[in-house]
Amino acid sequence: MPPARAPVKRTAASSSAAGPSTSAPRAKIPRAGPSQPDIKPRIGGTATTKGKAPLRPAITVPAIDRKPEINQGEEEWQDLMKRTYGGQKGADWYAKGVKTVEDKWELLPAFLKVKGLVKQHLDSFNYFINVDIKAILAANAHVVSDINPYYYIKYTDIRVGQPQRHDSNQVASRLTPMECRLTDSTYSAPIFVDIEYQGEEKRNKQRGVQIGMLPVMLRSDLCHLSGRNEAELARMGECPMDPGGYFVVKGTEKVILVQEQLSKNRIIVMRDSKKDEVMAEVTSSTHDRVVKTYVVTKNKRVYLRHNSFKEYIPIVIALKAMGITADKEILQLICGSDERYQEAFGVSLEEAAKEKTFTRRQALEWIGARVSPNQAKDDGSYAQKLTPVDIAMQALAAMVLGHVPVRNMNFRPKCIYLATMARRVLMAMIDEHMVDDRDYVGNKRLELELKKRMDKILEKKSRAGPFDAGSLIKQGGDPITSAFVRSISTGNWSLKRFHVERAGVTHVLSRLSFIAALGMMTRISSQFEKTRKVSGPRALQPSQWGMLCPSDTPEGEACGLVKNLALMTHITTDVPEEPLIKMAFMLGVEDISLLTGNELYRSGVHLVQVNGSLIGVTHTAKKFVTTFRKLRRAGRTSEFVSIYINHHQKVIYIASDGGRICRPMIIVENGRPRVTTEHVRLLKEGKVTFDHFLRAGLVEYLDVNEENDSFIACYESEIDEGTTHLEIEPFTILGAVAGLIPYPHHNQSPRNTYQCAMGKQAIGAIAYNQLNRIDTLLYLMTYPQQPMVKTKTIELVGYNKLPAGQNATVAVMSYSGYDIEDALILNRASLDRGFGRCHVLKKQTIPMRTFPNGTHERTAYPDPLPRPDAYAFVDRADGMTAPGATVNQFDVMIHRETPVDTRGAATEGYKPSPITHKLPEPIQIDKVMITEGEDGSLIKILTRQTRRPELGDKFSSRHGQKGVCGLIVPQADMPFNDQGINPDIIMNPHGFPSRMTVGKMIELLSGKAGVLAGKLQYGTAFGGSKVVDMSQILIDNGFSYGGKDMLTSGITGQPMEAYVYFGPIYYQKLKHMVMDKMHARPTGPRANLTRQPTEGRSKDGGLRLGEMERDCLIGYGATQLLLERLMISSDAFETQVCETCGMLGYNNWCPKCKSGKGVVGLTIPYAAKLLIQELMGMNIMPKLCMEDSV
Amino acid sequence: MSQQNRYTQQNPNPMPDRNIPKPPDTIEYICGDCGAKTAMKPSELIRCRECGHRVMYKPRTTRIVQFEAR
Repeated sequence: MPPARAPVKRTAASSSAAGPSTSAPRAKIPRAGPSQPDIKPRIGGTATTKGKAPLRPAITVPAIDRKPEINQGEEEWQDLMKRTYGGQKGADWYAKGVKTVEDKWELLPAFLKVKGLVKQHLDSFNYFINVDIKAILAANAHVVSDINPYYYIKYTDIRVGQPQRHDSNQVASRLTPMECRLTDSTYSAPIFVDIEYQGEEKRNKQRGVQIGMLPVMLRSDLCHLSGRNEAELARMGECPMDPGGYFVVKGTEKVILVQEQLSKNRIIVMRDSKKDEVMAEVTSSTHDRVVKTYVVTKNKRVYLRHNSFKEYIPIVIALKAMGITADKEILQLICGSDERYQEAFGVSLEEAAKEKTFTRRQALEWIGARVSPNQAKDDGSYAQKLTPVDIAMQALAAMVLGHVPVRNMNFRPKCIYLATMARRVLMAMIDEHMVDDRDYVGNKRLELELKKRMDKILEKKSRAGPFDAGSLIKQGGDPITSAFVRSISTGNWSLKRFHVERAGVTHVLSRLSFIAALGMMTRISSQFEKTRKVSGPRALQPSQWGMLCPSDTPEGEACGLVKNLALMTHITTDVPEEPLIKMAFMLGVEDISLLTGNELYRSGVHLVQVNGSLIGVTHTAKKFVTTFRKLRRAGRTSEFVSIYINHHQKVIYIASDGGRICRPMIIVENGRPRVTTEHVRLLKEGKVTFDHFLRAGLVEYLDVNEENDSFIACYESEIDEGTTHLEIEPFTILGAVAGLIPYPHHNQSPRNTYQCAMGKQAIGAIAYNQLNRIDTLLYLMTYPQQPMVKTKTIELVGYNKLPAGQNATVAVMSYSGYDIEDALILNRASLDRGFGRCHVLKKQTIPMRTFPNGTHERTAYPDPLPRPDAYAFVDRADGMTAPGATVNQFDVMIHRETPVDTRGAATEGYKPSPITHKLPEPIQIDKVMITEGEDGSLIKILTRQTRRPELGDKFSSRHGQKGVCGLIVPQADMPFNDQGINPDIIMNPHGFPSRMTVGKMIELLSGKAGVLAGKLQYGTAFGGSKVVDMSQILIDNGFSYGGKDMLTSGITGQPMEAYVYFGPIYYQKLKHMVMDKMHARPTGPRANLTRQPTEGRSKDGGLRLGEMERDCLIGYGATQLLLERLMISSDAFETQVCETCGMLGYNNWCPKCKSGKGVVGLTIPYAAKLLIQELMGMNIMPKLCMEDSV
Repeated sequence: MSQQNRYTQQNPNPMPDRNIPKPPDTIEYICGDCGAKTAMKPSELIRCRECGHRVMYKPRTTRIVQFEAR
């Protein structure tokens, strides 16, 4: 235990107010003096209990060595900590402690300020830049020439600069992400290495050699945007609300999705009930390879399975080969003194004896004969042939359980590890419940794939290495840059060395709405196959509480496989484990290599594992764990190290590896949360940050495994004796997207899931720089509003600043018949005033290509004009339209000319290749941008269209209640209440009973109360404004408490027979609009091969009469209609057939019979003619036999 | 009746002639960074004369544009 400081001394110091600080040398921070009148007197008051012995000695003192940025609050914070941990705790201190912590949710914005919503991406990238890249380099540092081993290159250091323009002629200047988006270039920074290589005579050293460019994640440490304020961001054309965490590659924004996979280097036990087999699996991952090792049972015997071996190796032989030759020792290592295990393992021991392997050498020879040949070749790069013993030795040392190091041929750690695996298998054989759950979130690691591609590249480099040094490095530059760019822009990761081949790792950042972009950053994709029909991995896991959002998952095939992070989660990065091991030994853990099997499994003994490898045992498990946790709270280890006891396995697990999900929680001690209202007050005043709470041990991070070892109260009232932690805020179990739903706890759960999908399609504001962006497709709402009923999450993610929807006054009633099946009735006057109005911005990129012979495309004004109408807005000076122009169908936007000859000698001839507008609706030109791209000049045109809602446009509320506009009604015909208020939307009440979206009803009530009170109401999950309060506001304003109003029909002028539920609901306009889908064609283009009509609206295609429709016509017997649909209106073809031979002829001539005698004309589908000819091409002769028609 | 005549008859402030003001022979592009205007010929390198920025925008058309207000 850390030494307790004498608290009495401090009491004296603080009660004598201004006296010189007598306490410890930590007094760097100014003492609380008279400058704090509001706190001081209270201390004086409690000082009446002076001299009373401290109830609890101070355990932690806030670490002062790491100096926080905020200094003004520091004094007060120190003072507060003193009072909390110091000796002097009077009666009213306890009284205060009992009081509930007000506004403890304020910790959440504080957390987000430090961590941000996309911290997992930024952390991962920063870790890669600062730590991992160096480790990878170190693993591949030495490159020796294959031809002459005398020559070599050694990398000594690696650095990454800041993003800059990579011109050769210009001085390096700052490159902003916005410029990259506009110019279709990559936001990347140079990578420098220091090298050392063998020249002809002497060794040369070179510093700062650029080996390539690395794409930089936005808002990471390397990015120019990190740590900038709003004004600076605006200057660079960035939106302050943009979360960052993505790359800009060739002008497109790319996100690397978080991947979920089973944890590496951990034993996972599975059971196959059909085959009655138990299997323990470990995926060993090191910096240079990833290998899987299994311990399996077959016929009740235990075997080792590994790719290096042709067949199963009996576990006893494997252990003997690794140096444990005594059967007794093996038995003790695996079974301990438990007779049940010994009995179950006996068969396996016998088997080894049957194979006549008793000594280590025999075992090695046995294994050596079974090492799979290609494996041996892979490893054996040495020229001389290896003996089977050496081969076996090598395979066991390097391949089997590769993450357990073998130093100086000391196989002891590996033996114990293998024995543990075998023991776990035995345990599972005897007791079915000892199986691990693959889907348990604690067994999962979330990985951002950054790391792997670097390996690949350096490996490539080492292959290129052998010829010579110096000049070689320079030519090495290109592959690295292009490999990075390619892997990010295509999303294909293939790493031979790690047996990884993965497609679709990166995605284009969806900018449909702000929420869509945000939702993409928190997405997690699973490695499971979508087609397999297993429910396990798709199900909602109890252990994902608070870590992954329970609502936000897609419907359909990816359901439950694509998940989203909850609001307060954090994904860890690697923390070095050596200090942890040292610390464990200091806390009394006995080293594993000094113990025999007998000592390992005695009762009361707990094994200690650090990141999956056994380091030792302890007899005082509880004490060890609590002390370790205290040290962590004191900041002696990283806050992301987790420790917990598995009571079944009697193992203490310490984890410090990357990819664990964890979340912060308030620590509860002695039945009281350590965070008090006082602390929160300082936080609210902005004087302290989340880090203060963390460092002072008031709050800590728990990962899923440690959560299971804790007793967490959801609310303060639930705290009792054993409680160890308190939730910061229950609504954080939802993610950023589900957090937009008001009163989600009142909805049927699938409705929340539907809204999560639809919220991403809502049209609204995208970013502050939305009008400066040139995206392929951008939907913007003309007049977005923030919701009347918001949630805390909405404020935290900034949805109220970049909203996507409008508060519509809704009447829940029936109106005409145009509102069935969820259709909505819209008020025409509301549309005139701008309800649901949106812009559609589209981009056209026109690169000016350069050809091999040096000629390039150009823009020009044609003379004479081919179609004067189409060129009305084209400027004479540059052959381009200017912003503001209206362009109709087939009008020219840019008159581009392409050289006639692009291969041979450069000539003067140009042929026009104009860019025209193709769609029937006229568009406005919004922007014309010209720039110098990476290859040649580049023109981008942004076109704009303003759309008002029309029949068939899709709308949705925030409760998964979507509907299309069924009718637009003049305001005069809409119902009105006694104040003359009309609804904007009429919704059919049939939408409620089966959907059970009570949240929507409460939203209406709160919204209405908000309107009347002139306030925004809250609909936060598990909280929010109460219905009773809302009803009271309605009553106070002269409305019915239930939210119903008396309406008068606009058509008849008579009062309605029933009261109507009437009030504002936030409605989103979704991106599916009739204008983009409406399509019909009389006749039009046909496909070349089959001469049938083309397919799809974009190609002006026909509407297909499919096979099911065909079946209907057959069933009805409508032969003439069938003939007309399938042939005459499609691909009728006039051809000729020779009656004598049955083959196709032409020009009244049969080429086979060499005569025109029996040739007759007929009409067949062109596709049939094609089939006949294709069959003939395959040496099959189809014959057409004619019959007289009746 | 041509569109031009209709304007002059109905509108007390007649619309100016469609071809006035005349589009200039060289167009001054607007710099995306500093907002300075630079006249450029098609074959020239695209770069702001003031700040060297390489994203340039075309200024708004000089022709008269009519919108339908709905």
